[in-house]
Amino acid sequence: MRRPIPAERTKSLERQGRRRSTDGKGDRSLPDGDGQSGNEIEIEAVGKVFGQGDTAFHALSGIDLTIRTGEFFTLLGPSGCGKTTLLRVIAGFEHPTSGRLRIKGQDVVGQAPNQRLVNTVFQNYALFPHMTVAQNIGFGLKMLGRPRAEIAATTDEMMHLVKMEAMAARKPSELSGGQQQRVALARALAPRPRVLLLDEPLSALDLKLRKEMQTELKRLQVETGITFVFVTHDQEEALTMSDRLAVMNQGRILQLGSPHEIYHAPTERFVADFIGETNFLTLNVIAVQGRGADLALPGGRTIAARVAEGLTPAVGTTVSAVIRPEQARIVPQGTGELSATVEGAVFFGTDTHIHLRLSDGQPFTVRRQNNDDLADPAKGETVGLSLTPGALQVLRG
Amino acid sequence: MKRDSHRWKWILVSPALLVLILAASGPLLIVAVYSFLSPGNMGGVAWDFSTDAWFRVFFKRDIFEPENVTLNADHLAVFQRTIWLSLQTTVICAALGFPTAWFIATRPANRRMIWLFLITVPFWTNLLIRTFAIQEMIRNTGTLNTALLWLGVIGEPIEMMYTDFAVLLGMSYVFLPLMVLPLYAAMDKLDFRLVEAGYDLYASRFQVLRHVILPLVKPGFIAGSILVFIPSIGAYVTPRVLGGGRSMMMGNLIGLQFGQGRNWPLGSALAMVLLVIVVVALVFYLRITTRETGGRDGQS
Repeated sequence: MRRPIPAERTKSLERQGRRRSTDGKGDRSLPDGDGQSGNEIEIEAVGKVFGQGDTAFHALSGIDLTIRTGEFFTLLGPSGCGKTTLLRVIAGFEHPTSGRLRIKGQDVVGQAPNQRLVNTVFQNYALFPHMTVAQNIGFGLKMLGRPRAEIAATTDEMMHLVKMEAMAARKPSELSGGQQQRVALARALAPRPRVLLLDEPLSALDLKLRKEMQTELKRLQVETGITFVFVTHDQEEALTMSDRLAVMNQGRILQLGSPHEIYHAPTERFVADFIGETNFLTLNVIAVQGRGADLALPGGRTIAARVAEGLTPAVGTTVSAVIRPEQARIVPQGTGELSATVEGAVFFGTDTHIHLRLSDGQPFTVRRQNNDDLADPAKGETVGLSLTPGALQVLRG
Repeated sequence: MKRDSHRWKWILVSPALLVLILAASGPLLIVAVYSFLSPGNMGGVAWDFSTDAWFRVFFKRDIFEPENVTLNADHLAVFQRTIWLSLQTTVICAALGFPTAWFIATRPANRRMIWLFLITVPFWTNLLIRTFAIQEMIRNTGTLNTALLWLGVIGEPIEMMYTDFAVLLGMSYVFLPLMVLPLYAAMDKLDFRLVEAGYDLYASRFQVLRHVILPLVKPGFIAGSILVFIPSIGAYVTPRVLGGGRSMMMGNLIGLQFGQGRNWPLGSALAMVLLVIVVVALVFYLRITTRETGGRDGQS
């Protein structure tokens, strides 16, 4: 039983640049349009308020964000930070209270989810329990009224893509978590959306499977060239998979950048703290020059530090600065920029965390790679610390 | 030790078994036996074996020429009306019950109990009284006709009492909660993210209803249909009060044989026919509904 797609629906879908494959097989090249350099999603001043009056909850406030065509973009933040709400706004399940949202240049505020060329992989997969794997994967194309032969061909292709060919006739309840995950991916990819939204898709999997699926997701994204918007609270996942990521908290985007930038040049305390382990130091500003500042270290030495964008610290004030534990080395006493007392060491296999206290009482942690069979420094021993030049970053606030 | 716990279970279950034997299997057996006996003069049965009651369920003899046997059209008409009215009642309850159950299932969790409670309110009043209340509404000089006459919508009263319509109205009203409750139970378990997934995959509202919601709440429809159809088949009070002698159902026909008719064997045989209709309908219904969902392979 095939049903023609209503004319206006077809039109609106084509306006958004949906490619209609003619040979029934389609291809996996980049979506049409302005190529990879264009902007896929433009979000301007989007806010979302739930409830009214005193009980109003601002889930999103003033979100400005541009997601580029063909990139793997991640929204990272703790639970309740608004990342899932933002994803649901893009999908069309929630309508923003304020602001504008464009997908491929077209304003989509007010459009229903079934009118947007965006598909979602849900957190708990939301596979249709009464349908087989093949029926689940073919559902989107069936709803679009595609010819039966095309649906069958695309379904086969998708099952091959996620290595689930052998499971075509199974019901979701007969699959493992990882297999359900693959089916959910294939189902969302089958209609060849412009954008794939992934809502913490790996959170229900165990660690080993999660690592496998991370590689798998990245491979699928590169192979299909579809723009991925990935939501996670796992900072490691965000760093390893993303082209760019946005760190969110309390309904706002705190920092936007490449994983490298976010990790090495956090601009806010929250970002530095949320991602990886960090040493926070409270230091005095001695001199300011351009995008850098000279800070006074405990013990009297001076060090050059980078300053977060948009911040101009005043000479003589106290600022908060961060440095990663792997950007400091333990050196013999009397050498290096700092002097510290050893408080203990924790062995992690590949590396050891050495907990120290600086001469002015601030705590400091050093991560040492266990390349050589080095002896841990003894508790109470006084050592020197050498900091990687340019690694210290002054934070906002 | 293990034998002991086994024995305990039998002791625990015995009161229920006793009730089942005394109240269900026993009377059923008596009815089955009575249907093969002869009617007593003042009601009751005479202990003479006879298949006359079973013969008279389906056929009748001409009073003056006993060898002239014809089908008992009156009985067959009652059978047919009973099945047809029960089917219609089931369909009406399903059509009205689905939106009602959906409404309740989509309320905030703390308010659902209030709505469910309201659904059960009619059960507080005796069925007979509720049925007479419907009669008061729809009789020629009743509330509805009086209001319509006063408003000038109609020139003379609409005759609704003692019609199939009246019986259908009464039964749909009485059995509606029996459809709403299992449908609600099925919808309560429905994962609404599946509805979102349907919309996300380009399904329209109607397509989501047809391809996602209806297949998933089907167990509720099956349970509700059984709960409505079976008591409809055996309905007695509603057709008696609202249908009268003109729109009689099997329950009334059976009642008649045990009362004025003083033909207990015929009543018993009719009761057995009723039982067979219910069992056949159930088996048939479960066959179709499970065949569709049972298969694993094949794309629809």
